[in-house]
Amino acid sequence: MNLHSVEMDRWSPIILTLVTFIPLAGALLLLSLPRRDRDIRVFSLVVTLFTFVLSLHLPVHLHRAQAGFQYELDRAWIPTPNIHYHLGVDGVSMWLVVLTTFLSPLCVLISWNSIHERVKEFFIILLVLETALIGVFVALDLFLFYFFWEATLIPMALLIGMYGHGRKVYAAVKFFMYTMIASVFMLAAILWLYAKVGSFDFVTIQNAIRNGQVANFTGAAQWLFLGFFIAFAVKVPLFPFHTWLPDAHVEAPTAGSVLLAGVLLKMGTYGMLRFNLGLFPDQARANAWWVMILALIGIVYGALVALVQPNMKKLIAYSSISHLGFVVLGIFTFTQAGLDGATFVMLAHGVSTGALFMLAGILYERRHTYEILEFGGLASSMPVYASFFLFVVLASVGLPLLNGFVGEFLVLSGAFQARAIYGILGATGIIWSAGYLLWMYQRVFYGKITHVVNETLPDLDPRERIALLPAAAAALVMGVAPLLWLNAIDPAVQTALAPFAQLASKVVGQ
Amino acid sequence: MAQTIPQGVEYVRILPEIVLSLFGMVIMVLDPLVDERSTQKLLGLIALIGSVAAIAATLYQSQFPGLGFWGMVKVDGFSTFFHILVTAIAAVVILSSFEYMQVQQIRAGEYYGLILFGAVGMCLMSSAVELVLIFIALETSSISTYVLAGFRRRAAISSEASLKYFLLGSFATAFFLYGVALMFGATGSTSISVIAQALRLSPVPVLAYAGIAFMFVGLGFKVAAAPFHVWTPDVYEGAPAPVVGFMSTAPKAAAFAVLLRVMFESNAPGRLWLIWVAAALSMTLGNVGALVQQNVKRLLAYSSIAHAGYLLVAFAALANNGIPAAMFYTASYAAMNVGAFAVVSHLAGAGERYVTLDDYAGLGRRSPLLAATLTIFLLSLIGIPMTGGFFAKFYVFSAALQANLVGLTIIGVLNSAVGAYYYLRIIVVMYMREAREEVPAIPVSPALGAALGISVAATLYLGLLPGRVLEYASRSAAELLH
Amino acid sequence: MVPISYYLVLSGILFACGVTGFLIKRNIISIFMSIELMLNGVNLSFVAFAAQWHALSGQIFVFFVMVVAAAEAAVGLAIIIAVYRTRETLNIDQVDLLKL
Repeated sequence: MNLHSVEMDRWSPIILTLVTFIPLAGALLLLSLPRRDRDIRVFSLVVTLFTFVLSLHLPVHLHRAQAGFQYELDRAWIPTPNIHYHLGVDGVSMWLVVLTTFLSPLCVLISWNSIHERVKEFFIILLVLETALIGVFVALDLFLFYFFWEATLIPMALLIGMYGHGRKVYAAVKFFMYTMIASVFMLAAILWLYAKVGSFDFVTIQNAIRNGQVANFTGAAQWLFLGFFIAFAVKVPLFPFHTWLPDAHVEAPTAGSVLLAGVLLKMGTYGMLRFNLGLFPDQARANAWWVMILALIGIVYGALVALVQPNMKKLIAYSSISHLGFVVLGIFTFTQAGLDGATFVMLAHGVSTGALFMLAGILYERRHTYEILEFGGLASSMPVYASFFLFVVLASVGLPLLNGFVGEFLVLSGAFQARAIYGILGATGIIWSAGYLLWMYQRVFYGKITHVVNETLPDLDPRERIALLPAAAAALVMGVAPLLWLNAIDPAVQTALAPFAQLASKVVGQ
Repeated sequence: MAQTIPQGVEYVRILPEIVLSLFGMVIMVLDPLVDERSTQKLLGLIALIGSVAAIAATLYQSQFPGLGFWGMVKVDGFSTFFHILVTAIAAVVILSSFEYMQVQQIRAGEYYGLILFGAVGMCLMSSAVELVLIFIALETSSISTYVLAGFRRRAAISSEASLKYFLLGSFATAFFLYGVALMFGATGSTSISVIAQALRLSPVPVLAYAGIAFMFVGLGFKVAAAPFHVWTPDVYEGAPAPVVGFMSTAPKAAAFAVLLRVMFESNAPGRLWLIWVAAALSMTLGNVGALVQQNVKRLLAYSSIAHAGYLLVAFAALANNGIPAAMFYTASYAAMNVGAFAVVSHLAGAGERYVTLDDYAGLGRRSPLLAATLTIFLLSLIGIPMTGGFFAKFYVFSAALQANLVGLTIIGVLNSAVGAYYYLRIIVVMYMREAREEVPAIPVSPALGAALGISVAATLYLGLLPGRVLEYASRSAAELLH
Repeated sequence: MVPISYYLVLSGILFACGVTGFLIKRNIISIFMSIELMLNGVNLSFVAFAAQWHALSGQIFVFFVMVVAAAEAAVGLAIIIAVYRTRETLNIDQVDLLKL
């Protein structure tokens, strides 16, 4: 036994607990700190950075070839109902955890000056939100999952409602009610499963379903699938459930938007991958046709609406609907490429859209508007800002060698395998996205300066550069060396697809 | 039945009631004797000691389970649970009343005495196993709360609340009593165990059905279940805020204890449909009514109707899951509601001027800690995980599902989603709206701080580690059904 | 001998009269007296059932009920006086600060 594996044994059971709860511990410590804004900012930055560094332990020590969950910790928590404190990650959820911890310090940096009232509360809420988000991805007990799922709602709603602008209260309440009501259906499905299986444990329930040990399962399966699906579809948001998203995004503070687009939406797609596919493969297959149609509608609709948005932030919000459509499309192709791609788009979208929102926020700090027509010709007054923006836009539209390309390419190749028409329709989405983003870029940065104030806008200061550089770097590395990510995602995806391979061979065999 | 003089151990079985009564009487005697200015603190302190002593007495008493006084009282896990609950509520309410009484400039000597006497009645309700004794206990608790509701004598609104509570309360009591009489007529006894035997053997007489229905109407009034809920918003709006905290939890818990005993232990016939309808109505009317309220006390009144509905869902479920679920619910509802009303009573200010939603605007900025505390209670009332309210709903609904009450569960779950809206409104107003006028921020007194601390701790404890309480409730439910 | 059922019907009628009075009377004192009427209806049925079951306890219950009713009356009248002091009316329709 070498030193390396000894160290791993000691750390691996508690690493997820540490990563999850260090932000919360930081929030509690913040409570007791005096209201000196600078100290609070520095402290939050230290906490989030520390969490990020700690979370890097996960990809570094992951057994990449090994399927199933790793870094598991399973302890009985509440005897009745039988709830366990069960954490664990596979290749998919691990990267989502890292994405969360990666974006959090950037959120702290980007909020440095833009939040100047109730600063302490802001960072407390932000840290609590980080814990809840990580918890969603690491929980393997359905109850614990639901617990963290709901726990993300409150801090997010508070961020929007307390620190947003415009119709912030309306947006916050709409966000809260939409997602809360939808998740009630998931709770009902979870309770049904618990009543039949007697456990909330994901693996136990999965095995019970696969071995046909759940009474009345065939009759209820469709409803259970829908119960989970609605909760996730609202979160994603899939096409008819998307109306809360533009409101929430436009009114949210920058850090809220970054976490909302970067991580919160992925909770939905992650949930589909983990629960809809993991627990109900038959129903997933049976329902795939309409889900994919909705996803395609979302891709095209999101892109078209984005095209005509006069508001920069709303444009980015609708582009998220379009991109998340790709993710859903990829997941429901049930192909290796599709799922790999879907996971990769989740990560890539988190990084590049997060960066886009940060850039929009930086502009808002200077001009207090998101209206595209208010700008124009910024390339001459803010050259560094303009080049960052161009880089991120290119990453987002899927330029090869940047992160957007890899995921969308894989999703589309999966979609072509499933049915060519899906691939063709999906591909138009990429064209649209190039259209609206580049057009927006052109209107904001090129041409003559139409407003006098824009001539003297200060370019990025060092803090803003530090906040943007990691995101840009990540976009580049993900595009150049996607295998670093994909070789961890692959085994997890294969596990998720195992029942579909059997289904497929059954169909072929007939 | 041997008609002997009660043994020493039988007195232990009513020890908490004795302790509470003694302390109450001491307060009543001292009230005219002590100096007006020190009355507040001294008598309140005596009452506090009294309620804590009653908790200790309950713990001691729990080592001597069994019947007492010719089979009229019964000490078991069930009674201990409700004794502790009621006396703890009394203690917390007393703690939260010091500051309120000072601000309202009410001479509050007998106020504390009345709380203790009320608690005597409620404790006795949970341990009585004989219908006439239950009636007397019910009246003891009710009469005390009638007076408490009108304790802001100079405010017309308060006496009016008291009057309404009194009239409708006595009306309900008469129904309960008629039910007792009919039950007596049907079975020839008022002892719950004898009634249970009688109902199990013979084909159930029509009179027994009528008796159960009448008793249910009477108790339905007491727990503010629809369609007997009309008094609740008015009374809660008019009565002093700490009193509302008391009477929305303790008498309700006691009345639910009686319902549990009467319905389950006596093996009551035909209970399911009665309860089904009442539960569905209470949840729906309560939540819908709360949606439009501007007065926070009224809003919480409607919310308490809704919560009575959730609780009744547990009654419709099977006994072995339903009883522990209901017990857990009463406990966690008590924790969050007493806490919420403690905050309301602090914010109300002199003459209870600040009790509308608008007065809560900007509270998050004015007093962040208080706002955060109230938020925890409201989240618990919504039923967000990590709070007692979540597990309370969880146990109730899963008990209902296990009894295949799918329809009722769906109504309940939809209702809790609706309910989220109006609790959320308070949070939204506190954090996201600016105060219109300058509302004075009074510092929280240590006693109130302690009351809030206890409530928060209890709410979170039940939300994070509900296991022990539920296990205890399950065990005592098993005893009860045995 | 008068059958038991007669007494029971009478007690039922008394109780019903009380309920009706409670609902339609507008004077607070009359409403309160209606409640007393309901209680007395109950008392009568207790006595009747006691005779039917040959159980003395039923008759003793009546004493308990009377004592409790007296206590209730004392408190109730005090509350009514308090209301009269602030509102100077005993008409329930005019006691309307709280919307019902």
